[in-house]
Amino acid sequence: MEGSSDGVIVARVLRGDAEVFRVLVERYRDRYARYAFHMLGNREDAEEALQDAFTRAYRSLSRCEEPERFGAWLFRILVNRCRTLGSRRGRRSRTFVVDEVAILEAAEDHPADRNAWREEIDRALQQLRADQREAFLLKYVEDMGYEEMSQLTGVGVSALKMRVMRACDRLRELLSEVHSA
Amino acid sequence: MRLGHSSVVALLFLARAVLAQDPRLAARLDNPTLVAVNAIIDSARVSKLPTAPLVDKALEGAARGRDGATIISAVHQLSVRMGSAKRALATNATPDEIKAAASALDVGVSVRDLARLRAASGKQPVTVPLAVLTDLVGQKVPILTATNVVLQLARSGVKDPEFAAFQRNVRADIDQGADPTVAATTRARGALARNATPTKPSE
Amino acid sequence: MMKDIARELRAPLSPPLSASFNGRVMAAVRRMPRHSRFRLWSRLTTPRTVTVIPLSWGLLAASLALFAIIGATRAFDDVRTATKPIVTALFPSSRVPEAPQRVQFVLVAPDAKKVAVVGDFNGWDAGHASYQAQHRGGGVWSVTAPVPVGHHRYSFVVDDSVWVADPTAPRVVDNDFGVANSAIVVQEQK
Repeated sequence: MEGSSDGVIVARVLRGDAEVFRVLVERYRDRYARYAFHMLGNREDAEEALQDAFTRAYRSLSRCEEPERFGAWLFRILVNRCRTLGSRRGRRSRTFVVDEVAILEAAEDHPADRNAWREEIDRALQQLRADQREAFLLKYVEDMGYEEMSQLTGVGVSALKMRVMRACDRLRELLSEVHSA
Repeated sequence: MRLGHSSVVALLFLARAVLAQDPRLAARLDNPTLVAVNAIIDSARVSKLPTAPLVDKALEGAARGRDGATIISAVHQLSVRMGSAKRALATNATPDEIKAAASALDVGVSVRDLARLRAASGKQPVTVPLAVLTDLVGQKVPILTATNVVLQLARSGVKDPEFAAFQRNVRADIDQGADPTVAATTRARGALARNATPTKPSE
Repeated sequence: MMKDIARELRAPLSPPLSASFNGRVMAAVRRMPRHSRFRLWSRLTTPRTVTVIPLSWGLLAASLALFAIIGATRAFDDVRTATKPIVTALFPSSRVPEAPQRVQFVLVAPDAKKVAVVGDFNGWDAGHASYQAQHRGGGVWSVTAPVPVGHHRYSFVVDDSVWVADPTAPRVVDNDFGVANSAIVVQEQK
């Protein structure tokens, strides 16, 4: 089953084989965990959003109109969950979140300078407005085109371009000192 | 005049027979509960409130296995809510509107907002908008947001089928992972735009 | 610089997700009702059928084939566009009671042995003969039964013991009994 396409696995699940859903979980968890982590800034929220997205995807699976593109459909659900969780978190927890990132990074086995640079990126990312961070991640990390992003988020292309541009400007501003050091 | 023992017994049976207006209640409730429930129903009738919902509430309680005290309290609370609903919706409210409004009050919609909905709806019945409002709150849309959204739709003349489509769409969006507030306000924008002019709604 | 940042952010999460993540997801999945063969079949076949008329959907009471509950929402779209709604304005405050309409109720309950519809239109009586659902296969239970015009509350009773609100219908939270019922507004068929 592991090598089967998304469409084949979705069809099996819809016929009653719930266990085979784990193949889709395994297939998409790491890539989407990355997005959730960068969007929400901490591992706990990222796991919660991702777990929630998977269970909602399972529950609504018969509404997935293109089973062969299950991943994209799941991603849309995850983007929504990150928005919901992100807005609940609010500004107050942001300091804590950044510290948590620093703690996580410190535990890794990386060269010190790489570690610091990565830390700074994560910190700067969390200082962006949520909609700008989302647009930036979709464009630069998930490598989506603007049309695709527009379909995913429901936001117009020109608004998305503006958000990406502002995100880049802000990141440059926040990171240029560190980068040139 | 003193009544003999047999006369008293006869009168009690007569009283029960008279009071058991809905035979199903007598079949499903014990005597003390029956008497109390029928008293509430009679009082509601005097206040020109619909009595069928009160009978239904008592039957539901019996079917769910609730004890007499719970059933009496439920019937009483419903009659109080229906009274508030009727006052808020004005005297020509239909029984269905009163039922739907009582459900809305139960989930926390205010009497004032019932009146605002009536004013916003003009001649349109408010049964369906109220059922949609009750459902939105049940779907965890905050009461203030749900009320404002339904009021806006009513004010702009959205009809029952569009209200129902709106409710269905919000439900589907929430099932897909959307935040309830965002789902309700986004779908409301779409419904308002469709109802206004045939221009493309903007995000 | 953006490329540099993007390269960093594209690196896999390190350390990766906790080992128990998959297990937690699958535990949640196992707690949910299984999808059924029947639902897949009903998605693939046309025409589709209307299920309960929660609030609108034109009362195609007399219609068509069976919907799976999960497919119902999408199917309502098809029904709405493809068929002429029977819905009229809500029933006015007339003293003459309109004839009851035939309404189809559907519940997916693969493990059930018995499913009945109860509501304020049948005295919440789970034994009422006209409201006993039939098993159509694949865990899908349905019954088409008379419901008077107007606003009603209802629920399903599974195996004479478990009360289940209709997952596709608008919800009515009832704080008197601490339960959630479903709402339906039945309109007169022209």
